[in-house]
Amino acid sequence: MSLELDIRLPLARFTLEVGTRLDGASVAVMGRSGSGKTSLLEVLAGLRRGARGRVVLDGRVLLDSVARSDVPPEQRRMGYVPQDALLFPHLTAEQNVRYGARPGRASRVDEAVEILELAPLLRRYPATLSGGEKQRVALARALATDPALLLLDEPLAALDVALKERVLPYLLRVRDEARVPMLYVTHQLGEARVLAREALLLDQGQVRAAGPAAEVLGAAARGLLAGEGEGEENILEGVLERPDDGGLRLRMQGGLSLWVPDSPALAPGTRAAYAVPAADILLSIQLLAGVSARNVMTGTVVNVEPVATGEEAATVEVAGVRWVVWLTSTSVRELDVVPGARVSLAVKTSACRRLR
Amino acid sequence: MEGVAALVSFTIWVATLATLLILPPGLAVAYALARWEGPGKGVVETVLTLPLVLPPTAVGLVLLELLGRNGPLGRVLDAWGMEVVFTPKAVVLASAVMAFPLLVRSARSGFEEVDPRLVAVARTLGDSRTRAFFRVTLPLAWRGVLVGALLAFSRALGEFGATVLVAGNIPGRTQTLSLAIFQRTQLGRDAEALRLAGVAALLAFVAVFATEAVTRRRGRRVRA
Repeated sequence: MSLELDIRLPLARFTLEVGTRLDGASVAVMGRSGSGKTSLLEVLAGLRRGARGRVVLDGRVLLDSVARSDVPPEQRRMGYVPQDALLFPHLTAEQNVRYGARPGRASRVDEAVEILELAPLLRRYPATLSGGEKQRVALARALATDPALLLLDEPLAALDVALKERVLPYLLRVRDEARVPMLYVTHQLGEARVLAREALLLDQGQVRAAGPAAEVLGAAARGLLAGEGEGEENILEGVLERPDDGGLRLRMQGGLSLWVPDSPALAPGTRAAYAVPAADILLSIQLLAGVSARNVMTGTVVNVEPVATGEEAATVEVAGVRWVVWLTSTSVRELDVVPGARVSLAVKTSACRRLR
Repeated sequence: MEGVAALVSFTIWVATLATLLILPPGLAVAYALARWEGPGKGVVETVLTLPLVLPPTAVGLVLLELLGRNGPLGRVLDAWGMEVVFTPKAVVLASAVMAFPLLVRSARSGFEEVDPRLVAVARTLGDSRTRAFFRVTLPLAWRGVLVGALLAFSRALGEFGATVLVAGNIPGRTQTLSLAIFQRTQLGRDAEALRLAGVAALLAFVAVFATEAVTRRRGRRVRA
């Protein structure tokens, strides 16, 4: 995917100005509430009048205010998933999914239903679906149109959304199985890191930073999102395995594995994603031994960045997996947590919460 | 009572035709009013409501002036060999004009209840404006539209003032139930007039009951 943006759109409190080029297959758009993220998606979808500038997607000019060209939304092939799903209330889930399916691309419908696990919901009307279910139907409806780019507005805003309602695991499957490029608006650094190759930070309508996710989603992103009242979390993807001596482990790319809460319903070999709050990880500058936490690992501090008053986020790399750990500034000073330091991390099994 | 059956069927025929006649322009105007925000909207709304509050005879008089042989529209129609005034066509037209605001008002509130963002989503899913109207807006506003059509029909059933001016009161040609009631009382045939009034009441009851039934079901079906 290559997306060239050079747009200006006057909004009530500021002007949205975005000039950037995005090439990653998945882009996270981050910023505080009201920073222009939703407006940006609407401009891309062709739903906002009054935007000036250029939008070019994979060589196709969608908007060029100088040349007076403005491709109408129905010809843009953007898979728009708004914040509140906006399912058609008079249609069943299935009719919603099929709404924009392109003739000859019926397989896209089946694929969307399969990836988003909608089979049991197909006959139901939107009014009977939960928030997370609505989001999944809206996502399938967009996928079924075989879009050139998915535009996802932060499905459910807060961390306190019930785990089973989080759409993230499905988004990971969309990324891996449907392979549709996506532009994803979110507040959550953990989600953005695991999902996005590139990131765009918006502040008062202006681009604060844009580029590879690993670079952008650090201190600048934390500073920007501070005060939004949401903790940070680590999101870990892998395959479940059940060793002979009992328990359940998540094996991640690079070989690192993590003990997670066992449940007979979870079959070894399935892909899964877990969230571990950055504040729930214990960091030690000595090799940890004799602790009750089952997950103890050793790694190297990559960097330490301030989060908000009194707290700092240390990024620790363990066997190719980057963990973010929140510490108080006092601990950072007293333990001398600096880049390059070897540290141990301890994660209680119960701190690992499965997504979905 | 053969005369009564003919009167009733003519009256229903007129009201049905009048309703069908105003449906396309009525829905277009209602949709425009629901979505369009611009200067002069208030004036347009007021003008469209006028037939509801003006004396029906005044509306009838305006129609007569417009459609009469020497009226601006009448001359055009005359050139086409079409005569409207004092014909059944005039009855339909007068009823249609009087019923128009009722259809527009109800359909408009139906359209206003449809979240424009749903239409926006339909557009991103490949619908043109027109297609989105028929696939999203109309199905979601159908109750308002149906109630509007039923109200318009009910109004057309009882139309008198505008009709009598532009269509006259010609038995067997332009006479509807309400015109017949008037004529019978003028002739002192009060018992007959009263019987006709009873029939009119029955017709009105059915029409209004249907409207109420549709309105009542709204609350229940929203959750479906």
